[in-house]
Amino acid sequence: MRLINKTILYYLLISFPLLIIAGFFSYFLIKGELQDGVDESLAKERLNAIHLINSFSRPQSVNASFDSLSGIKLAKNEKAGEVFSDTSIYDTAEQEFVPYRVLKSYYRSNSNNYLITIAKASFEQEELMEGLLSAFVLIIAFLVAAFFIVNWLISKALWKPFHKTLSELGTYDIRKHDYHKFESVNTAEFNELNIALSKMTEKIHSDFLQQKEFTENASHEMQTPLAIAKANLSLLMQSSNLKEEEMDQLQTIENTLKKLSALNKSLILLTKIENNQFHKKAAIDLKEITVKALENYSDLIQAKNLKIETGFSAGFTIEMNPVLADVLISNLLQNAIRHNKAGGVIQVSSAPNTFSISNSGEPLTIHEEELFVRFKKNDASKDSLGLGLSIVKTIISHYNHTIAYSYTDGKHTFTITHP
Amino acid sequence: MKILLIEDEPELRKSIKQYLHQEGYLVESAADFIKASEKAFDYDYSCILIDITLPKGNGLDIVRQLKQRNSKAGIIIISAKNSSDDKITGLDLGADDYLAKPFDLAELNSRIKALIRRRNFDGNKAIVINEITIVPEERAVTVNNQPVILTAREYDLLLFFITNKSRVVSKNAIAEHLWGDESDQMDSHDFIYVHLRNLRKKLSDKGCVDYIQTIYGIGYSFKAS
Repeated sequence: MRLINKTILYYLLISFPLLIIAGFFSYFLIKGELQDGVDESLAKERLNAIHLINSFSRPQSVNASFDSLSGIKLAKNEKAGEVFSDTSIYDTAEQEFVPYRVLKSYYRSNSNNYLITIAKASFEQEELMEGLLSAFVLIIAFLVAAFFIVNWLISKALWKPFHKTLSELGTYDIRKHDYHKFESVNTAEFNELNIALSKMTEKIHSDFLQQKEFTENASHEMQTPLAIAKANLSLLMQSSNLKEEEMDQLQTIENTLKKLSALNKSLILLTKIENNQFHKKAAIDLKEITVKALENYSDLIQAKNLKIETGFSAGFTIEMNPVLADVLISNLLQNAIRHNKAGGVIQVSSAPNTFSISNSGEPLTIHEEELFVRFKKNDASKDSLGLGLSIVKTIISHYNHTIAYSYTDGKHTFTITHP
Repeated sequence: MKILLIEDEPELRKSIKQYLHQEGYLVESAADFIKASEKAFDYDYSCILIDITLPKGNGLDIVRQLKQRNSKAGIIIISAKNSSDDKITGLDLGADDYLAKPFDLAELNSRIKALIRRRNFDGNKAIVINEITIVPEERAVTVNNQPVILTAREYDLLLFFITNKSRVVSKNAIAEHLWGDESDQMDSHDFIYVHLRNLRKKLSDKGCVDYIQTIYGIGYSFKAS
């Protein structure tokens, strides 16, 4: 939830009960005031009635003409005091009950007891009350709405630099570092944030450059000593008086050197992909590359007596570097050959949206998540470098595609899908 | 036949020189850009091996200079940078081949021989070793004048052996020659043996002597007098 929406929600949560309480208070306050006014005018009427009684020459009852309640009656009992009450009378003209405020009081004059009843329709007050309340609600609603709109606008303006920083952070690419990205703004907090971010990204960027340079240099620098060792080993092999034991040792050294240089080449390749050094792009159909690669590996496939099953319903095309496409497919196929069992099967299928290579084989001994991690490998294949699938993953991610692994029915499957 | 080796690393220069010398070449060498361009101008070589990263200059500039004066020398670039850009630039400039370090000396030797053969310096298009005759242009092999039908791999294997005749060639060098970079990922040499067995059988069927000797632990050697 956005900060602004959250703030507004909290304001609402707090202001609702407060407004309801305030509404109740004002309702009773206004109602009380209005009633006081009515009661006062009733008391005044009573004084008029008393005047009238005092002016009577003989005891009599008088009915007021304007309603059926008001009037002066002769009463038998002799009570004193006044009682206010509320009642309602059916109005035949309006065809509805109309609220009345009634004052009953007893008065004694010339040894006669009178009951003075004064009634006053209080619908005016009710209407006034309603009018006041709706005005009140309207004002409150308007205030609340205005408050929220203003708050929203202010918040939007205030947080603008922050959102700018956020979107810049979101698009920040360490490979295309731009030093002027986090501009200074006039809100102190955001300015500090931008300064801190600028410093941080510059540091990350320079570390990244150093790291990149180091990997590149280290790998290249290693090639020449490897070449020297390899060349001298070739010369040594030509020696005619080697003992069997020494030949074994030479073989071990040669295999180790081969592994070392393969490792180095793979690391250089990974670094190059990550450093974006394969610029050239073309629409590559992985199906075609696979057909060529299968042809190229036919002797390896035969040596292991593997069966190839292809299901090419359509091509699977990725916009990518042709060299990397070859590397991708050859790594996947070599993986499928290497980790296969003798007489096993390799299935390749291609459709417009998915491309998959699967091979029969024993279940993994490592976790699935570790499959694409550099130097993580299944025990069974000690000779492998543990970089092949990591290169595959790097290439696939470089072109924003996804690769998934699954193991079902004794088959390892790698599936590539478009983003 | 004269070869110019331009390489700044003394140890590597020494071993390449030694290996090529044993192959019967006259090898001159240069350790930096200035000496290299002097020598490249002064003499005519059959083949020039050029390292790209040199002290005082770039090996690719030497390729440019050689091409400007229409040198007939074959040019092989040997570089520590196995970058496709360098390779493409080098080949575009007119280099004939590109070999990434670290390489096997047997591989370098086979590249030099293939280049010299293509340029036809010795005027003879066929390679004849006793009863075996190979015509590289046609990828054709005959034994005792009878054609032998070889697969692409078997042919490459035979030519690699003959190019490195009397040399001990390791299984790794063979794998690298036949499968290139792909051989890095291969963990067994069984398939070399399969091709070798087929090759031997096809040759002996036509009455060829088995010249290919197994060298214990290391690899093979093609021994023919």
